[in-house]
Amino acid sequence: MSLELENVGLTIGGQTILKNISFKLEPGELLVVLGNSGAGKSKLLEVVAGLVTEPVGRVEYGGRSLEGLGPQERSVGLVFQDYALFPHLTAAENILFGLKCRRAPRAEQVKWLKAVTAELKIDHLLERYPTELSGGQQQRVALARCMVLRPEILLLDEPLSALDAATRERLALLIKRIQDKFGVTMLYVTHDHTEARLMADRILVLEGGEMVQLGTPEMIFDRPRNRFVAHFTATRNILPGRITERRESAGRVQVEFAGIRVEAASFPDRDELVWVCMRPEFFHLGMSRETGGEENLIPGCRVRRLLPQTGAVMQVEFEAGPEQERLLACTFGPIAADLGPGDRVDLKIAATHVHCLPRRAEDIYCR
Amino acid sequence: MTLLVLAAGLFFGSPFAALLGSFATEGGFAVLAQPGVLAVVATSLVTALGATLLAAVIGTVLGYHFTFRRRCGGRGLKAFFSLPLVLPPSAAGYMLLLAFGRYGLVGGPLYQGFGLQIMFTGAALVLAQFFVVTPLMMQAAASAFHQVPENLVKAARSLGADDFTIFIRILLPLSRPVLVAGVITAFARAIGEFGATMMVAGRLKTIPIMIYVKAMGGDSGVADGLSLLLVLLSFVVLLLVNILGER
Repeated sequence: MSLELENVGLTIGGQTILKNISFKLEPGELLVVLGNSGAGKSKLLEVVAGLVTEPVGRVEYGGRSLEGLGPQERSVGLVFQDYALFPHLTAAENILFGLKCRRAPRAEQVKWLKAVTAELKIDHLLERYPTELSGGQQQRVALARCMVLRPEILLLDEPLSALDAATRERLALLIKRIQDKFGVTMLYVTHDHTEARLMADRILVLEGGEMVQLGTPEMIFDRPRNRFVAHFTATRNILPGRITERRESAGRVQVEFAGIRVEAASFPDRDELVWVCMRPEFFHLGMSRETGGEENLIPGCRVRRLLPQTGAVMQVEFEAGPEQERLLACTFGPIAADLGPGDRVDLKIAATHVHCLPRRAEDIYCR
Repeated sequence: MTLLVLAAGLFFGSPFAALLGSFATEGGFAVLAQPGVLAVVATSLVTALGATLLAAVIGTVLGYHFTFRRRCGGRGLKAFFSLPLVLPPSAAGYMLLLAFGRYGLVGGPLYQGFGLQIMFTGAALVLAQFFVVTPLMMQAAASAFHQVPENLVKAARSLGADDFTIFIRILLPLSRPVLVAGVITAFARAIGEFGATMMVAGRLKTIPIMIYVKAMGGDSGVADGLSLLLVLLSFVVLLLVNILGER
């Protein structure tokens, strides 16, 4: 069954926390809610869970309104950012808490405890208290505590934020496995765009309690709706430019920024002034000037500095064009190893990876 | 600064030193074996226990109410329930007399309808102590419940727990040390209560009343023994509360 929110809003103490949130979540889908601190992400989960009173708008599950229904009457599980395990109860007691509240028969409690803890590989931790568990183990117990109730919707509030990199990776895979195996519909909150891209079937971007963009990860990352989304999803090159020529039949425009001309395949219908958005990972570095078909060439870019390496990927800041505009590009492999400040390199980027956003008077350009 | 601390030490220490000196010269705890003294100690213990038990239940419920149901009554109601903390005890006792006396607002109908008399009985002592110590328990409970992380309550609710289950299975166990400290403090305050108890006691006596009567009557032996008993009890209570506070 699908979860549908229509014009959901929430005001607490005169302060608007959420405003006009509308989306439909299909069964088994994982929707990531992406936004910075204070965007209202966690409150959105609490609205769906029935933990906050008096939200406006409609929350429906399978066509049935959830208005006035308490958390126990909704088939919803909520995993908290800090796990919220009861410190005075063992892992097993924590996991069984919900079933006991629902007065499930003892045999059913044992059956689901065994099944879920085996699936999450925590069956050897059941007698331990939360303080005796690592962060990853606590997160698994918190997941198990929800999963034994067999919720149709699982709400995850920044579930990986407090974990080390290796544990994050393992738990991310585990969450995807739970989604696939149990067909659970998931609403997943994070402020980390990398995590969002990794986990999401679709992404909802929130800013100041309002929806900014809803779409597939490709849409959000490659076609951000505005500068906030572009900036938040790490489009590091957002430059003020101007459309100089429209070739609508070819689905292309020519756009100029800092004296550099490139073709763009994504552009606004009417605006002439635009923000030119280019993700660092879409640049190709080459010493030759041969361009492959659709690619734009920005010749002779000077290496300004090499940024700290992340894994095998190196970020390089260039000075490009007659105005020496700064561009950030990612690279790896032998080219990266040979680069040094002052070197000259050609940058190439496909027109399909140049995205133009309308630039309005109220926008303030800041690098 | 050091001089001030020394002066304060002398000031606060002198009554204890004087009591110990007097206690040593007046025959020690043996005087407590005098007729009637042990009965007074027993009365004090029983009534203080009763009042503490009542205050533990009602104070905890009030603490819960003012922590989680702030909208119902809010600050005004909380201030009202805290009034006995700042009221002169004699005024509290007088008000209890007016309410629960034979011709009082509550006591009148009880006496006329059922022949029940509350004032000047053991029940009146319990009532007076309960009136004075309940706000203490209420504040301890509210402070204990405030310390329970909000997410634990939300987690319990999201798992289907109702208010009663959350109270019994989450709040009470997690607040136990502070609540126990509150109960101990309430007991110490109840057994030492004088002003309100004096107003409603009639011929009954508790330890503080006995100390007053004996001290005024010149029987300093019993007054010394009972005072030291209360001092020791208070010291043990503070020690326990500190230990619980460190947990």
